Amino acid sequence: MKGEKQMIYKNITFKADPFSYDLVLEDRITLVGGDSGTGKTVLYEMLEDLRLTDEYKAIKLFNYKSDNLLEAIKQCRDSFIVIDNADILINDEVRRFINFEFSNQYMLFSRNCDGLNVSDKSFKVLKLDSNRITLEEEL
Amino acid sequence: MIDIYTEKKDSKDWILQNDLYFNLNTSNEEMSQNEINLIQQVDEAKLTQAKRIETKYGLGTIRNLSSGCKTLLNIVKHPDKVVCVEECGPNVLKIIFTMDNIKIYMSRPTLVDIPGDAKIRFNDSDIMTGSKGYNAWWSKEYERREADDL
Repeated sequence: MKGEKQMIYKNITFKADPFSYDLVLEDRITLVGGDSGTGKTVLYEMLEDLRLTDEYKAIKLFNYKSDNLLEAIKQCRDSFIVIDNADILINDEVRRFINFEFSNQYMLFSRNCDGLNVSDKSFKVLKLDSNRITLEEEL
Repeated sequence: MIDIYTEKKDSKDWILQNDLYFNLNTSNEEMSQNEINLIQQVDEAKLTQAKRIETKYGLGTIRNLSSGCKTLLNIVKHPDKVVCVEECGPNVLKIIFTMDNIKIYMSRPTLVDIPGDAKIRFNDSDIMTGSKGYNAWWSKEYERREADDL
């Protein structure tokens, strides 16, 4: 798959009562930004459980507690990589890896797109409406 | 005066990992009514005496607050420290720029409402006023970075 853009998941859908998550992903790099307190870290914690299921076993998670992020992320292929605290964790080398390792898909909880090959479909915010959580385009 | 630093520094007087610092330090301190109100304002979370929180996403402890809210509390509780605000959303930055006598670190500009009379000092040197001054300083800084090929 090298050199070819790949989407591991176009949708991530699950229930976590009383909420249902219906996340539509439209680019291999998704930046989840918006206001603080909109549930990014809550989602990250949900994904920690979800990745233990067969359907979502391609999910690989990183946050400020992860050891040696760069080395760990460089091992990932054909994975859906989620990085919480990405604004403070990723450096130029990680950005390069994200841009050029096309076998992975990425969801970054970050507002900083500097140095990333993103499109207008990359920028999303979490929206909670009647217990349904979706990813909406960031205006 | 709000002091902004734009070059990262490793120092015990700087808080770069806000979640970590909050979980190990700030969360153990007593919260004033003003701080409880900030938690309500940013995360819509109700803080109990036992440091538990109730939010629209459910129940948790004070360590389950958002990174932006933790950053804000680190600033309020430790005004002597330089605190990284790069993980803060616009809602938190808007509050930060209404404060006085604080020190923050940001390596790039961000779209934020800044009161017209807010005094901002960049890197212990240039003093600017309000949004206009803030944006003007960053424009110059980007010209400098471009000239230096940064």
